[in-house]
Amino acid sequence: MNEALTTRRQFLQMVGVTGGGLVVSVALPACAAPGLNFDHGAGTYFHNALIQIAPDSRIHFYNPRSEMGQGVYNGMTTLIAEELSTDPDKIEVHFAPVHEAYQSPESGMQSTGGSTSMRVFYTPMRQAAANAREALLQAAAEQLGVAKDSLTLDNGKVIAESGSYPFGDFTALAGQRPIPENAPLKPAAQFKYIGKETSRIDAPAKVDGSAMFGLDADFPGLKKAVLQRCPVAGGKVKSFDGDAVKAMPGVLAVVDIETGVAVVGEHYWQTRQAAEKLNIEWDLPELADLSTDKYFTQLRQQLTEDKGGKAHREGEGAKGLENASEVVKAEYSAPFLAHATMEPMNCTIKIDGDKADVWTSTQIPQVVQGLVARHAGLDAENVNVHSSFLGGGFGRRLYSDYVVEATKIAVASGFPIQLIWSREEDTRNDVYRPGSVARFEASVNDDGLIDTFFVKRAGANAFPAIIDSALPTLMPLGLAEWVGNRVEGVVAGFELDTTSTEGLYEDYDAPNKEARHVTVDSGLSVGFWRSVGHSFSGFFKESFIDELAHHAGVDPYEFRMNNSKKDKRFAEVIKLAATKGNWGNPRHAGATQGIAAHTSFYSRVAEVAEVSVENGNIKVHRITCAVDCGLAVNPDIVKAQMESSIIYGLTATLYGKIDIEAGQVRQSNFHDYPMLRMQEAPEIEVHIVPSQEAPTGVGEPGLPPVAAAVANAVYKATGKRLRELPLSLA
Amino acid sequence: MINFTLNGKAVSTEAPGDTPLLWVVRDYFKLKGSKFGCGMGLCGACTMHLDGQAIRTCITPVAAIEGKSVTTIEGVSPKGAYNSIQQAWIDHSVPQCGYCQSGQIMSATALLARNPNPTDAEIDQAMQGNICRCGTYPRIKAAIKKAVSDNGSNGSSGSEVAYYTPSNQLEGGNNA
Repeated sequence: MNEALTTRRQFLQMVGVTGGGLVVSVALPACAAPGLNFDHGAGTYFHNALIQIAPDSRIHFYNPRSEMGQGVYNGMTTLIAEELSTDPDKIEVHFAPVHEAYQSPESGMQSTGGSTSMRVFYTPMRQAAANAREALLQAAAEQLGVAKDSLTLDNGKVIAESGSYPFGDFTALAGQRPIPENAPLKPAAQFKYIGKETSRIDAPAKVDGSAMFGLDADFPGLKKAVLQRCPVAGGKVKSFDGDAVKAMPGVLAVVDIETGVAVVGEHYWQTRQAAEKLNIEWDLPELADLSTDKYFTQLRQQLTEDKGGKAHREGEGAKGLENASEVVKAEYSAPFLAHATMEPMNCTIKIDGDKADVWTSTQIPQVVQGLVARHAGLDAENVNVHSSFLGGGFGRRLYSDYVVEATKIAVASGFPIQLIWSREEDTRNDVYRPGSVARFEASVNDDGLIDTFFVKRAGANAFPAIIDSALPTLMPLGLAEWVGNRVEGVVAGFELDTTSTEGLYEDYDAPNKEARHVTVDSGLSVGFWRSVGHSFSGFFKESFIDELAHHAGVDPYEFRMNNSKKDKRFAEVIKLAATKGNWGNPRHAGATQGIAAHTSFYSRVAEVAEVSVENGNIKVHRITCAVDCGLAVNPDIVKAQMESSIIYGLTATLYGKIDIEAGQVRQSNFHDYPMLRMQEAPEIEVHIVPSQEAPTGVGEPGLPPVAAAVANAVYKATGKRLRELPLSLA
Repeated sequence: MINFTLNGKAVSTEAPGDTPLLWVVRDYFKLKGSKFGCGMGLCGACTMHLDGQAIRTCITPVAAIEGKSVTTIEGVSPKGAYNSIQQAWIDHSVPQCGYCQSGQIMSATALLARNPNPTDAEIDQAMQGNICRCGTYPRIKAAIKKAVSDNGSNGSSGSEVAYYTPSNQLEGGNNA
């Protein structure tokens, strides 16, 4: 067992989790789905866990992916719709329950993250729908007594010479015949929905207040819960004033769950007010010594003193610098960040005997099920997870700390409860984007080509938190206990977490490359934040490339083109962004331009920023974005995700910073952890490279270049090279 | 007992008077379209109309609305139908996660009721109190302009809208 855990790859294969490009292949179970029981009426054609066609001809699609804004509700349905020749908005989309039939064929998990949905599901989803189509056609041919080849599907009907028939006419017979496999997929030339800019099918429910989010779960008898946690994460309750609070109006119970004290009440407001009167004394954990200032000093010190572990090496590696006539050096840093989803963390849970129902906005329902089972002492199959729309995810909802809290409160109080985090609690109890410092050293030859590229990053690893969170649910209880108690050791034994260095060194050609990593764990909970390692490496690497260009006396656009001969698709997006962005001639009078490009989640994105600096303030006027994400299943959603990533990234560029003093997060709400608002949002223009290549990531790749594009424009305007996020000219 | 009008219907509530209107509407009247985002009047997810004005209901005690008229996202159009603003939102595929959009639409509706043909700067001013983490601002702006052009000259001027300024909101803010 110990030996089996010594490498990250083997360990991850065992727990079935992937990250940083690791691929674990698992076949998507396309057929039977034992244990699932959908009731769409007698005679429903139960094709598989994903698609059922009811006798009333309605097509029910159980979407296995979490919709958090990125458009999978529309995208996955479009794939199904295409093969069934039915308008996507005619398909009834349901949030899938937890079942192995909904696990990703790549990760073996039912979770949504890493910009994977279209890349991973593009073919399996179409195959599932194509098989259903084949089954309908076979049944129709048999029932109508005609050749299958004489039949087609169009707009939700089977078209025969004798007329057109609703799907429902053939579902009963289809259900009695063997399920076809590997039916031919529609050729791209016949696509009616894939590749088209259709309007989002989840928009109507999101403009009239009817879309259900986790926070909207409600039923008679549901109580509200508020949990007071230690101001230093991980602190334990020493004492509190429970009796006085129990006597307050509307309060039903006060329970100690060790990591905090919860008040359960009839209504949220009373419960919240009561919880503030608990006067809890805490046993502070070691983390109480943490300050981000000290931590960043430590990162810099260890970058100097520690050789670090090897993340990548080609050619001579850093040794190549020894022959260089001149070495360009620079240090970059990026702070801890909270996700700040608009919907604060919340979880609703009802435990009834040996069963439980859970309603929560989650990116990882499989783990939610397992954690509730574990903490309520139930069998996982008796825990029913009701998925809903998510009020933002960005990686935060891959962690289920709020689900564990809610379960413990429900168990301890005996009430069905809805735990609601305040914004302050959400900001101060996040799983943060890890703070990072990186140092680059590079040499450029007389032809303006990079010769040696060396980078070393110091910081915590983002990956282990997901193992911590997911592990207990993926193994039999005893084994989970055993491994769970050793997770720290296992994690410490990792040679490298690829999310710590991803994006720092890959994009440009250089005969000699080396990347190293110095792991420095602050003790603070850190994890995946939109675009993960690329969220800081894109800024670091693209700013440094700009420095190299200026140092070599080459235009930054030309420099990037000259140094990206190996990846034609990468060069293509740089060229497209520069052309469409009017490189060299800003559209906005008095503005300067900066360019940056980055590959992440298998997609290439380049961005040109137009910026002006007035009285030390950075104003971003325009971002021109070019993206190659392979085939764009819905080009309008691709554009929307680029806009979204750019604006999310601009908040981090201009404002985002979490500071910790004495173990406590200083920021609390939107006044001291501000978000970009409408008047600060630039004009954004998105250009998609036309492509028939397989789809790649869309939800995150627009983010990594934006901070560098802005910083590079600020350099052009002011001559000041800003090497720290958030950007500040003060 | 506090009496007020909710989406055109006379209602009353026994909620304690200091309970923010948002929680009264969500927990007592079970209308879930208005969202909780910050509890300090900083993000606009909870926006409703009070006698036609866009207000942040997470910091508005229910006692303050005695005798007044409240409209929520559920009350801006008949069920199953969409007004010109909602339709523009659909046409431009504005929503992403969608959580903030009720509040965005309430702010936009109040703006257009007061100013049927706003400039870009007036749109920015009216909408700056509504945060969207998905970054749908460019599409919101485009949708407001679409609604303006769809309304044509039929847009009528409504009641005054209270513009949002963070400092005002913070002074009365309730740190929950």
